[in-house]
Amino acid sequence: MQTVLNLLEMEPIRFFIAFGAILFLVLNLAAILVMAERKVAGYIQLRYGPNRVGWRGILQPLADIIKLFTKENVAPGRADLWIFLGAPIALFIPAVLVWIVIPFAPGAVVADLNVAILFFVGVTSIGALGVIMAGYGSRSSFSLLGALRGAAQMISYEVPLILSLLGIVMLTGSLSLVDVVNAQGDTFWSWYFLPQFPMFIVFYIAGLAEVKRVPFDLPEGESEIVGGFMIEYSGMTWALIQAAEFASMGLMSAITTTLFLGGWQPPLPFLDLGQFNWFWFGIKTALIMFTFQWIRWSMPRLRMDQLMDFGWKILVPACLIWLFVTAGVMLIIPG
Amino acid sequence: MLKDEKRVESITLSGRESVRLANPDVRDEFGLETLDMNMGPQHPAMHGLLRLILELDGETVVRCDPVMGYLHRCQEKIAENRMYPAVIPLTDRLDYFANMHNEHGYVLAVEDLLDVEIPPRAEYIRVLMCELMRLASHIPSLGFLMLELGAFTPILYCFRERERIQTIFEAVTGARMMFHYIRIGGVKADLPPDIPQKIWDYIEGLEQRFQSDFVDLIQGNEIFISRTRGVGTMSQEKALEMGLTGPPLRCTGVDFDIRRDYPYSIYPELEFDVITDQAGDVEASYRVRIAEALQSIRLIKQCLEKMPEGEVMGDLGRRLRPAEGDGFGRVESPRGEFSVHVVSDGSDTPYRVHYRDPSFCNMQLLQEVIPGHYLPDIMPIMGLIDPVSGGWDK
Repeated sequence: MQTVLNLLEMEPIRFFIAFGAILFLVLNLAAILVMAERKVAGYIQLRYGPNRVGWRGILQPLADIIKLFTKENVAPGRADLWIFLGAPIALFIPAVLVWIVIPFAPGAVVADLNVAILFFVGVTSIGALGVIMAGYGSRSSFSLLGALRGAAQMISYEVPLILSLLGIVMLTGSLSLVDVVNAQGDTFWSWYFLPQFPMFIVFYIAGLAEVKRVPFDLPEGESEIVGGFMIEYSGMTWALIQAAEFASMGLMSAITTTLFLGGWQPPLPFLDLGQFNWFWFGIKTALIMFTFQWIRWSMPRLRMDQLMDFGWKILVPACLIWLFVTAGVMLIIPG
Repeated sequence: MLKDEKRVESITLSGRESVRLANPDVRDEFGLETLDMNMGPQHPAMHGLLRLILELDGETVVRCDPVMGYLHRCQEKIAENRMYPAVIPLTDRLDYFANMHNEHGYVLAVEDLLDVEIPPRAEYIRVLMCELMRLASHIPSLGFLMLELGAFTPILYCFRERERIQTIFEAVTGARMMFHYIRIGGVKADLPPDIPQKIWDYIEGLEQRFQSDFVDLIQGNEIFISRTRGVGTMSQEKALEMGLTGPPLRCTGVDFDIRRDYPYSIYPELEFDVITDQAGDVEASYRVRIAEALQSIRLIKQCLEKMPEGEVMGDLGRRLRPAEGDGFGRVESPRGEFSVHVVSDGSDTPYRVHYRDPSFCNMQLLQEVIPGHYLPDIMPIMGLIDPVSGGWDK
């Protein structure tokens, strides 16, 4: 017995168990988000949303999963199979991997990397590779267009995404997300979304573009390129792409919470729940996710040229100016 | 297919410069070819069964060939083998978003042959139904436009309205889409006694909701403006050259409406404005449709107020045998001019029936306007025309 406990305390084993927990969490999160998305859509669109499977349709994700598992995986005859089948994996892994650096509650983080922000930026950009693989591998002109759009968009919006993080890195003096959360304190006016408000907006917009949500869902663009890079996928491969999409959406909400909304910090000191502070983390993340869905169901889509103009001509200069402002303020008011 | 790398003078179309537009077969300075792409006929966002053969230079469309005929049902030929009244249900199947107008157009043409007296109450009911139909077509067309721009929600609000209008139609005609209600010499049956009040209540409610549901949420949206302003722009001359009618023509500033310029039925007795806009782009067509829907509300109210009592069916023989000759009827359908030409040889079946459908005629716009636009602009331009598959393929 003692040996087993000792074994569990070993760093690699602990890591694997924690990573398994993360995987479990993310997969469930994806299923819950699909359900939430459909319910939110329903309420915005004067209808009920799914309400047949289980109490108020609560088991709908389960039914979806069973359907997707039993469906045949169809690959186009001329598809490049290795690339075609590798793409969902290349999309899914980065969406899960970044979760390991997010602190859910005091001390509850899988890996407290001292370069966590860099890790986040690096790993999310692998997602673009998955999009290109999916579009190129399926050999369809629609998916090719979707992939090209996706690559252009994700690479362009990575720039404002990174630039908008720099202000926080300057304020905290650390790249570790645990340090970022600890530095924000347990009062909501001390969180970074107030001193870094413009960057909060930029990060939010760039994050929307990064996870390919409306109004930046051009790689999917169902009204012109009918699903874009994932047009040829079906069954489990399609489900994996969808799971990756929703996982990365949850990830972006979690990162926004961690960086700008104080992570697990309670809004006021007397609301501190100690180990149960993950409650605050969950509430804030869910709120951001809800705004993502709200925008998804009430906005039209931008066009590629407008998207590029917006990214390079508005977001990037705004970030650079704000960086100078932050640096100036830090010089004038030390500490 | 590819020719030598001869330099072609670049031309400017819709504000964008492209070498390809001058000659699609030429490689550009990087030696890149264009991409051929088939859009439709089974494309989820395409209006009905239209196939567009596109040639793309990146995201810019260099050439666009619309291919029609995937829903052709020989409507005109079938009509030649049917007795005159039996053609009316066929016209319902033409433009299935303007069934009342199709019926009305055909019936006007046959009545032109017959020279029959139509009771005034029947005329009022016809116009009432046609204007309700126009509402039931214009409001969803806004939803389709938004759907094409990627916003999914407005269409459900639009279809809520269409659903309520269809409920009214169901109570009046017994059918939700294929009405067979307007008959030669009148209408099938009088309005049920409670219906005028129901229509009035519905119209009052719609008028109140209209601004908040269909104008405020859409018109001021920055993304909507940037996606529609300047997209699909055409000049007045071009619009007239191509023979456009309806909102696509009026949004360029041409003041033309069959209801006023070639009056039929009781339109001369009713007050309404012909809506025009100057810009001639997708946004202008949206504004025209919004304003026309409000005019329809105005017309419906007048119809209900002025509706006389009396018969709803004229005195016709049991078997129609019009004298030899031509009959012509034209109505303003939600999409433009719908006109019918019926030729009689004296028998009880028409010798020839021809429908001029606005969806078909307005479709010429695609070839002219789309080249030079980006791929995602195709769908809003389709929303400008708002064609209906059953209309262009007959």
